[in-house]
Amino acid sequence: MATTHTLLSPAELNYLHTSLSLRPPIRSDGRLPTQFRPLTAETGILQGTNGSACVTFSDGAEAIVGVKAEIEKTPDAQQSGDADEKKARGDWVEISVEIPSQRDDDAATVFLGEMLREALLGDGEFAKKLWINRRFHWRLHIDILLLSPPLSYPLPLLSLTTHLALLATRLPKLKSEGDEDPMFDDDWESSVFVYPREGASEGTRPPITLLVVTVGDNVIFDPTKEELAVAETALAVSVAEVRRERPRGGMEVDSKGRELKLLSIRTIDPPSRLTPPGVPNGTATTATEGKPAPSNLSSETPVAGVWKAPLGGTKFTVVDGIIQAVLEKGGVADEVLDGLDGVELA
Amino acid sequence: MPLDTSTYSLALLRVDGRRWNELRRLHAQIRIQAAADGSSYLEMGNTKVMCVLTGPSEPQQQQQGQRRGQATAGGGKDAAINVSIVVAGFASVDHKKRGRNDKRTQELELIIAKTFASVAHTHLFPHSSISLALHVLSADGSLLAALLNAATLALIDAGIPMSDYIAACTAGSTSSYAAADDSADPLLDLNTQEEQELPFITVATLGETDRVAVLNCESRVQVSRLEGMLAVAVDGCKEVKQLLDKAIKAKGAKMIREGAAEKSDAMAMDLDE
Repeated sequence: MATTHTLLSPAELNYLHTSLSLRPPIRSDGRLPTQFRPLTAETGILQGTNGSACVTFSDGAEAIVGVKAEIEKTPDAQQSGDADEKKARGDWVEISVEIPSQRDDDAATVFLGEMLREALLGDGEFAKKLWINRRFHWRLHIDILLLSPPLSYPLPLLSLTTHLALLATRLPKLKSEGDEDPMFDDDWESSVFVYPREGASEGTRPPITLLVVTVGDNVIFDPTKEELAVAETALAVSVAEVRRERPRGGMEVDSKGRELKLLSIRTIDPPSRLTPPGVPNGTATTATEGKPAPSNLSSETPVAGVWKAPLGGTKFTVVDGIIQAVLEKGGVADEVLDGLDGVELA
Repeated sequence: MPLDTSTYSLALLRVDGRRWNELRRLHAQIRIQAAADGSSYLEMGNTKVMCVLTGPSEPQQQQQGQRRGQATAGGGKDAAINVSIVVAGFASVDHKKRGRNDKRTQELELIIAKTFASVAHTHLFPHSSISLALHVLSADGSLLAALLNAATLALIDAGIPMSDYIAACTAGSTSSYAAADDSADPLLDLNTQEEQELPFITVATLGETDRVAVLNCESRVQVSRLEGMLAVAVDGCKEVKQLLDKAIKAKGAKMIREGAAEKSDAMAMDLDE
């Protein structure tokens, strides 16, 4: 986990766990279970990139993403085959995640980067956008920088920042035709967005990855570090919006309708599993005869009011509930995408 | 040379239109990050860096001893200063990935850590560590100078006592190493284009004094040029120090106006602008 360990006692963990398993849950910062922390976002902050974004959460967590594109020759360009067929490869996209005070080859960091990459390439549409012709393609470098010290698991922050940076990414307009060496329009004003604006062609929008935890039967979105420390399950759910081309001319009555697609779900090992269990009041804790407290404590039946690290996997109904909450109309993903739509793209 | 020597001698203007003793636009901000103990953002022309400081705090186990960019003075009696520099892949014109173990980056880390270990009063924070995370968002020359300035601002923001500011800038010379060119001018605050072509030094001084805290040279330079370059650089550092000071005072005045900090009786500063 990218989080630094919370210094919470078993009693505090239990207090948090109990209040979060109430119905409705009471979160320590007073948010609703599906409510996100407020954030400020900005795009087009770096001049030297094709697209960039900066997102700051209210707790001070901040990330910058820069997208840079390079032309690359496609190796073993097939001479045969249909010219219209776009053969795209996922490795045209490179994602690197930098987290201060952590090595860049740290397993947690690599996992984080791969999770974001997987969601991005999940629908197979994205790599096709980088196809220029049969001989050349764009190589996209997505550099993700976490600026603040890691406060909570930074996945939602990094995912939202990447989403915005990709929305703001523009590539020069292609002037050449067919398989000749690519020539581009040098006017940046006429460059094309990788993810075209409203009403344009159909296709997906960049994915967002949401961090969801469950405590008891409650599903809680955008957990803080403390909430993550008592979570029974932590899931990273990636969704993308599918834009269909609507028939022109007709009145768009249901313009708010958004089609969401579930791309991937990954379980994340919550730090709560590593917490020490609490000891019930009745148990003799003073080590008589120099012996420590009985070691079979963890296998005992749970005592109300005593913290016990969660064991075992996630129930299917819980996963189902999470997917429902994410995908339903007016659900969390809808709300987040609405919020992100409000960000002005430079 | 991009700064075409012939053109330079004609108009005495550099590629970006500056004269020999002009700094690029310097824009500094402190307290840009709510979550950090100290933070700063600094632009010197197109070089843009950010510094996020954590500490003084209890040293983390993994950091002890084996981390690079660390300057400790014996026995944990002083605070250790850890510096880590992340050069973003999008910082330069071509995408280039610089790993954490890049030798140049490591050297920069070490220079910065050693400099601040000697200037900051680390003996006031025994058995603790101060971590500086420096992010290079855009690199266009004078990188070490920008990083040193940004680190100074972050340390001031975090309220870590120092004997004075560390103000840094670069200086170069219009004549390359081989040319025995007598009319060569020293240049202040080089950008990437100039850095690639010309010999240059990075100088950091202690505040507005003539005391040099850092002197770094990575290129071959004629010894007869060095004195001129050094003089120009030290003058540049004094200018930089004033700009940094102005940024900090502006932020301080703003905090007092907004009521975030209390006005002290002994304050000589005039807040009415």
